[in-house]
Amino acid sequence: MNKQLLYLGGAVSLGLLALFFYGLFFASDPQEIPSALIGTQAQDFTTTTFAGETLTLSQFRGKPVVLNFWASWCVACRQEARLMEAYHQRYTPQGAVFIGIAINDEREASLGFIRRYGKTYLLAPDDATGNISLNYGVTAVPETFFINEQGKITHKVLGAITEADLDKFLSSRFGT
Amino acid sequence: MKAVFLLLFCFWTLPLWADEAMDQQVREIAHQLRCPTCQAMSVKESEAGLASNMKVKIREMLQEGKSEEEILKFFVDRYGEWILRNPPKKGVNLILWTAPFGLVLFAGLGVVVYLRRKSAGNAVQPALKPLNAQEKAEIEKDLNQIT
Repeated sequence: MNKQLLYLGGAVSLGLLALFFYGLFFASDPQEIPSALIGTQAQDFTTTTFAGETLTLSQFRGKPVVLNFWASWCVACRQEARLMEAYHQRYTPQGAVFIGIAINDEREASLGFIRRYGKTYLLAPDDATGNISLNYGVTAVPETFFINEQGKITHKVLGAITEADLDKFLSSRFGT
Repeated sequence: MKAVFLLLFCFWTLPLWADEAMDQQVREIAHQLRCPTCQAMSVKESEAGLASNMKVKIREMLQEGKSEEEILKFFVDRYGEWILRNPPKKGVNLILWTAPFGLVLFAGLGVVVYLRRKSAGNAVQPALKPLNAQEKAEIEKDLNQIT
């Protein structure tokens, strides 16, 4: 009996040790919070762009949407700024939609950032409470959500977006 | 006259008490939520922009008459159970809650088993040496003398 107990304890300890090493070396980045919204319908929102136009997400149903949360004070947002604009220039004429929501940012700072990086896609501030970003479970900026033609969130990318991230979503739809 | 002043005082300070109660509720709920930006802290402790937004949202929802459960559910629906600093005691989470106690119990059992074995090993039993024929004869002789 005692021997069986020791074997059981050994097995449990080994299992825990294996879990520990898995978590340490092979599991996903613990800083990256898994979104509870992947595969769900994207929350609709209405806001006014910096250019003064009313923007409602649901008006783009039937088109793939790249929804990016950013801020002028965010370094990684600078890294991805020109790339987002370049992909907007390439894919918006083909039917894609690029939206950037500035969060926790001063309006003037956001406008300065837009001018500096020559951003021309749909750009709007979040509301005072940050309802749009809270509804998307945003954890940090930049964070980008990919919404398919049916209005479902297919996946998200935390941190500066890369060409590979954008290609994965857009090239299959429109070609390179 | 005093009664009127007292009534007026209560009337004027009532909003302050209500605000304090609301602040306390916001703090209690915010303490249960993990800050998404600086993950080692609760939303209550964090001053990150998103955590501040979350505190404002909690206050708004309380003012709308939402319960604590409804507010926590709002955040869990968007961030997943990860956002709760105390994961609910159900499903796979039960392993998290019970494993430490199980490990301590098992370690205790191991110590008991080890100590028992050790004490059993230490108590050396003297080897039983049978009486030889001469000793047997002497005992027999002495016994006969007694009887």
